[in-house]
Amino acid sequence: MASPSVPPARLEARGICRRFGTVIANDSIDMRIERATVHAIIGGNGAGKSTLMRILHGMDRPDTGAVLVDGTPTQFAGPAAAFAQGIGMVHQEFMLVPGLTLLENLVLAHEPTDRFGRIDVAAAQVAAHTLARQAGVNLDWDMKIEDAPIHVRQILEILRLLYRGADVLILDEPTAVLAPAQVRDLIALLRTLRDEGCTVIFVSHKLDEILAVADTVTVLRSGRVVATKPVAETTKAMLAEMMIGQVLASPAARPSTPGMAVLEVAHVTARDGRGHVRVSDLSMTLRAGEIVGIAGVAGNGQDELAAAVTGLGAIDGGTIRIAGHDATHRPLSGRRPLGLGYLSPDRAGEGLCLAASIAENTIASHHRRPAFCRHGVLKRGAITRHVESLLDRYGVRRASAHLPVASLSGGNQQRVAVARELDGNPSVLVACQPTRGVDIHGIAFIHQCLLNFRDRGGAVLLVSEELDEVIALSDRILVLYGGRLTGEVARGSSGIDEIGRMMLGGARP
Amino acid sequence: MTGAASQPGSLWQPAAAMAAPFLAALAMAGVLLTVAGHNPFDVYGLLAVESFGSVKRITATLAAATPLMLTGLAIAVAFRAGVFNVGVEGCVYVGGLAAAFVGFTCTALPAAVLLPSSLAASLVAGSLWMLIPGVLKARLGVDEVVTTLMFNFIAISLAAYLVNGPLLAPGSANSATPMVAEAARLPRLAPPSTLNAGFLIAIALLVLYGLWGRHAALGFETRLAGLNARFAAASGISVPVLVVKMMLLSGAIGGLAGAVHALGNVGRFVTGFSPGYGFTGIAVALLGRNSAVGIFLAALFFGALATAGATIQLFSDVPIEIVSVVQGMVMIFAVAQFGWPWLRRRIAS
Amino acid sequence: MIDHVIHAAVLMTTPVLLAALGGLVNRIAGLVNIGLDSMMLAGALVGLIVAAYTGNWMAALAAAAVAGGVLGFLMSLAITRLNANEIIVGLGFTIAVAGLVRFFLKSAYGSSGTLSLPDVAQLPRITIPVVADIPVVGAVLSGHDPLTWAAWLMVPLTVWFLARTRTGLRLRAAGGAPQAARALGLDPLALRDASTVYAGLMAGLGGAYLSIGVVGIFNEGITAGRGFIALAAFYFGNNGPWPTALCALLFGLFDALQIRLQGHGVPTEIVQTLPYVMVVVVLTAMAHAVRRRRAKGG
Repeated sequence: MASPSVPPARLEARGICRRFGTVIANDSIDMRIERATVHAIIGGNGAGKSTLMRILHGMDRPDTGAVLVDGTPTQFAGPAAAFAQGIGMVHQEFMLVPGLTLLENLVLAHEPTDRFGRIDVAAAQVAAHTLARQAGVNLDWDMKIEDAPIHVRQILEILRLLYRGADVLILDEPTAVLAPAQVRDLIALLRTLRDEGCTVIFVSHKLDEILAVADTVTVLRSGRVVATKPVAETTKAMLAEMMIGQVLASPAARPSTPGMAVLEVAHVTARDGRGHVRVSDLSMTLRAGEIVGIAGVAGNGQDELAAAVTGLGAIDGGTIRIAGHDATHRPLSGRRPLGLGYLSPDRAGEGLCLAASIAENTIASHHRRPAFCRHGVLKRGAITRHVESLLDRYGVRRASAHLPVASLSGGNQQRVAVARELDGNPSVLVACQPTRGVDIHGIAFIHQCLLNFRDRGGAVLLVSEELDEVIALSDRILVLYGGRLTGEVARGSSGIDEIGRMMLGGARP
Repeated sequence: MTGAASQPGSLWQPAAAMAAPFLAALAMAGVLLTVAGHNPFDVYGLLAVESFGSVKRITATLAAATPLMLTGLAIAVAFRAGVFNVGVEGCVYVGGLAAAFVGFTCTALPAAVLLPSSLAASLVAGSLWMLIPGVLKARLGVDEVVTTLMFNFIAISLAAYLVNGPLLAPGSANSATPMVAEAARLPRLAPPSTLNAGFLIAIALLVLYGLWGRHAALGFETRLAGLNARFAAASGISVPVLVVKMMLLSGAIGGLAGAVHALGNVGRFVTGFSPGYGFTGIAVALLGRNSAVGIFLAALFFGALATAGATIQLFSDVPIEIVSVVQGMVMIFAVAQFGWPWLRRRIAS
Repeated sequence: MIDHVIHAAVLMTTPVLLAALGGLVNRIAGLVNIGLDSMMLAGALVGLIVAAYTGNWMAALAAAAVAGGVLGFLMSLAITRLNANEIIVGLGFTIAVAGLVRFFLKSAYGSSGTLSLPDVAQLPRITIPVVADIPVVGAVLSGHDPLTWAAWLMVPLTVWFLARTRTGLRLRAAGGAPQAARALGLDPLALRDASTVYAGLMAGLGGAYLSIGVVGIFNEGITAGRGFIALAAFYFGNNGPWPTALCALLFGLFDALQIRLQGHGVPTEIVQTLPYVMVVVVLTAMAHAVRRRRAKGG
């Protein structure tokens, strides 16, 4: 219980617990966010940041524990209720309407009007300019939103929260979409807002930014608060260590004997859907009989790298060779015949067709093989036999292979996807988040499948947010930060802490 | 392998899903009939008798259902690949005109060649008519609904121009082409009813479609593309190519429906050629849930409504337009999702 | 001669313009209204009947607007609350209402397709004294009925409404980003419903113009697909009121011209395809522009 002489925190989490099924997302979280400070929250993937943010701004409710606003325990009925208390969030997907100008987006739903329902444009402009001046920014208010660059849209989102009366701003990975110069501008803006009395909660995994902008930092790991410290009393090394924590030692796996190169990525540059460069002049080689893992926090270019290798994303420069053939300009349908397999990170949306049957999902992409198809006609008997034996071998528990694959548990669904991809006997398998949403047994099984595949001479490009998994499986680990490879660590070397630091932007000593 | 929904013993669900929109539409039309002073049960009873009450009536129903089987199939084929083709009406016009043209122009050809040639002309014409919308969708992502809708009106006007001008039957006052040669007519199956070989063609195509869906590699790929285009692409299927292929196929079958009408029923091409076969086909495909058996049954229902509706008009003062009302409402009910999703959303948020 | 053509063109534009303006607002709010033709048809019928029974053209217009609005409301509910596909519902309404109208004609009047009633109060013509004698300008401004004037006044009014009023802004948000609108506390579905009612209202007025504005009788083909021409107009006008109005005028001009050009070599049916071809061309051009912008990394 806080003593009467200590002023209540603007926002406080006390003993917040939230679980989803067997997963404990937030475990007894205690955190004070003081008024007029920039409070950073840092943690790796699955640390519980998103869940906590959702609770703090009213999108979700804790199972136990409480949120205190200015010292008073409050239950939010929804985000609108939280907003009424001054708490607003800038989402990663901006809530802006295309076709409207910046000014119109600013005042939408809270328009200053006169008696006839006419918008009082002058009043709106005054409000807009006042806000911009307070924040120290300069915006062209008559520009259409779709013509505005991303960082301008982000500033507008922030100003809109202020316009609507929020004084606690929650920003979730705001610099993910920004270029370095724009990051500096955002940091300056947040500092100005703090000086004006706003409270900023800044979720990020980028150590440099946090040290530059925040007053206080809370480190989350596995749903718990590791520590809350003033930024002035921390260093990058301390934060990295708190964030990564103890990593399991890798299980004994046979050392690999890599053969010839099956995947050669040379000077590849790739952009994301918005046109930002996400992979920068990246080169790597993958050989038969080895597993290469890409370690990195989400958003550092892994998705774009995988898309470049599989052909699902375009590349700006560089070449990709698969099994000696130039595949740079081929789509995925042209790379599969070269020996590429692909385990999608988006199981529900891309890795599987949920409405189709288990059998259909298992045979897709192989259905035209001569064993299963003659003159365009499917050999259903052969397919069924093959599918049944394959599903048995991969331990897929099912009532019938003709039920929709959506009827399976997440772990079994992933087994189907793995079975299908390995059944194609690829030279190189691009495995993205291969055990996301899979139960413990399934994880162990899939890991063993990948290791066996490697022992048979297959090559795996492993892209995973689970550092444990990358360390356990990989013969070589390449660390990705900001779209560049910042280091390479071989299996069994003692470079685990190194990996953590490299993932967070620290250079290799 | 079979589609995911076909489990033994659970035929009730798809059957109920098929019957529900139809019954709901009949119920609402029943209200309309009551307001107008008729007894809906009498009317529906009369409709049932007039459609299926005797062999003669059954053949009439089958004859009316034939073009609907084809247009319904045309729409189902496209929809399977995830493409909403509402331009089948235009294909009916284009295909019917092409078939009639060959039928009254190439009269020098021997009989065994003339009829297949006319049918082939309709396939080609209908298929080419969907080429532009198909390519626009596949390569530029242009919404196929609006383009195919527009192409309907373009087709109807173009056909009207040709019929009133270059292809006008000499000496004919109303807008009609010359009659097609006798050799180009589809043979009657059960004279004096208009049931013709087109019915057999339609049945054959439906059977083929059912088999193709289950057994053909392309059928499998189309199904995947329609269910999840991203998954299909990741499986190595070229979705744009598939979209174009299915649009062409859809157009061809639509054109064939026109040919069957021209060569089987009317014997030539006239303005106002199609009584909305392409649009009724949408209701048929929706009601039949894009399955071969469903399309057959749905086409049968609407064919029954059409023939019986015409007859009961003679015996009672119930206007045949009740059929249009039912048809329109079936379309709406078939796509409405009762389960009150908006209410659920309210509760969830 | 040219005066006659211009006068006729303006006359023939009015119904399409009304429906197009309604459909435009509807589309901006996020709903493509394929059923405009059915709302025009209903408006035409109701307008004629009320005009005959009351002898009052204003009552007739009001009734026609209500008829269209009710249909719009029903259609919108099916789409926003029952999640039904807007294209199918629009087509379904078109078919059902066409059947309903003919059903009603037969049941209530025993007529098959045409309705001719005595003492139909038609829309008055406003002749402006001095202007009427000026060539061209006189044809444009004088001798038109109040509904035509209202329709053209609605064009700048719609521009102002969308840009400058709170409701207009919220309608644009409901169509442009419904999720964002909801996050800000707005109700995009209700806004969409309101816009469909408005579209139905306008289409109903346009339909009434067809029956009591020019000929004074009703027949089942009176709309002649004008609801779809209106669709072409606002697609082509890319949701801008003035381009849409000019497009509708263009179509009206084609209409007026082709009657005179008949027999002079230009086939009417080819001219009739022009609106629809224009829509396809515009959609293609727009998709192409989007592709090019994306390729540049925008």
